[in-house]
Formats: sequence, structure tokens, C-alpha cells
Amino acid sequence: MSETPSHSRQVVGSLVVAVLLVVVTVLLVTAKIGPGLDSTEIREREERQEERLEQREERLEERQED
Amino acid sequence: MEQLVESLTRGNVSQVKTVLASVVAVLSAYQVFLMAVGYGKVNLPFLKSKAASFTHRATGDVILVITLLVAFMCLVYFEVGDGIEYARDGEQTRATIHVVAGSLLVGMIVLKVIVVRWWHRMSRFLPILGMTVFGLFMVTWFTSAGNYLIGG
Repeated sequence: MSETPSHSRQVVGSLVVAVLLVVVTVLLVTAKIGPGLDSTEIREREERQEERLEQREERLEERQED
Repeated sequence: MEQLVESLTRGNVSQVKTVLASVVAVLSAYQVFLMAVGYGKVNLPFLKSKAASFTHRATGDVILVITLLVAFMCLVYFEVGDGIEYARDGEQTRATIHVVAGSLLVGMIVLKVIVVRWWHRMSRFLPILGMTVFGLFMVTWFTSAGNYLIGG
């Protein structure tokens, strides 16, 4: 019959499993998402964000006028 | 604040949130397994109850920090109202469920930490609290990161 590992070994082993789960998840999700945004995409996103902020400000002004 | 989140993620806010949310979703499933061992529901020759409970606590601390970080990013970058309002057509229901489940999740995690650390009289409710937190993690993940990853 196999001997039960010591308490500290059990803790380290279960923590290593947690770390492995994190690594595998990050790898799988990153592979699915693909590479990060390039500069063009970032610029487009910034423009969309500015547009969104402007719309929000306009809505606020309209509400204040009402 | 919005700019801080944007620069920290180098413009990939949704993607970073997806990775972090997926990590905590997987770790929350591992937490359920650890507590099944901790409560003696699952017997393993190489992992005893005490060690499983210790790892559950340590992993839980990590999950708490990552979850609060993701919640902060959601609130600062997308905002509650805008998240629902600017959801794509037909996706308002999903966004609403996500906002409700995410808010409940943060509340339940805080309650669970309070019970574990200080409110010991309520510790008999920890299993149900833990399963509720796990359920909310799943709903929150499926209605955002999961939808993004599976739905494309």
C-alpha cells in the first residue's frame, strides 16, 4: 500500500495543481483570443471611445436642459 | 481611471478581462473539488482534508484579488448602465444577467470572507455559500467571457 505524503507535500502538490490550471487556462484562452490589438485597432478603439464619451456628455446636457 | 485600465491592458481591456475571468472560473471549480476533499465527500490517498482546506483558503485569497480586479475593470471601463445600454442588439438580456450575477457574486464573496474570518457562528452555512459563489462565478463567466470565447 502506498504511503500518504506529508502535510507540506500535499499542500505544495495541490498548490502546484492550481498553478498548472492557471497556466493551462491562460494558454488556452490566449490561443483562442489571438494576438493583441495592433496600433490601428487601438486608434480605432480610441476614436470609438471618444465618440461614446461625446454621446454621453450630449445626453447629460440634454437631461440638464429638460 | 478609464485611461489607467486602458494603459494597463495596452488597449486590450476585454481580452485581459476574459483571461482573468476564465482563470478565476477554473480556479473556482478547483475550489469545489478541494472542499469536497476537505469535507470528506471525496477520499483521496494522496490528499487529506487538512491540506485540501489549507489550499482552498490560499487559492481563495488569490481568487478574491483577481475577482475584485476584474470587477474594478468592469465598473471603471464599461460602467453598469453603459454595459447594458451599449450591448449589441439582442444581447441586452445577457448583459443584464451578467451585471446582476457579477454584482451578486462580489457581495457573496465578501459575505463568505466575513463568515470565514469573523462571523464563525454562521460557518454552518459555508457549504451553501460556497456553492452559491461557484454558481454565480459560472453564470458571470458564461454571460461574458464564455460567451465571447464560445460564441466568437
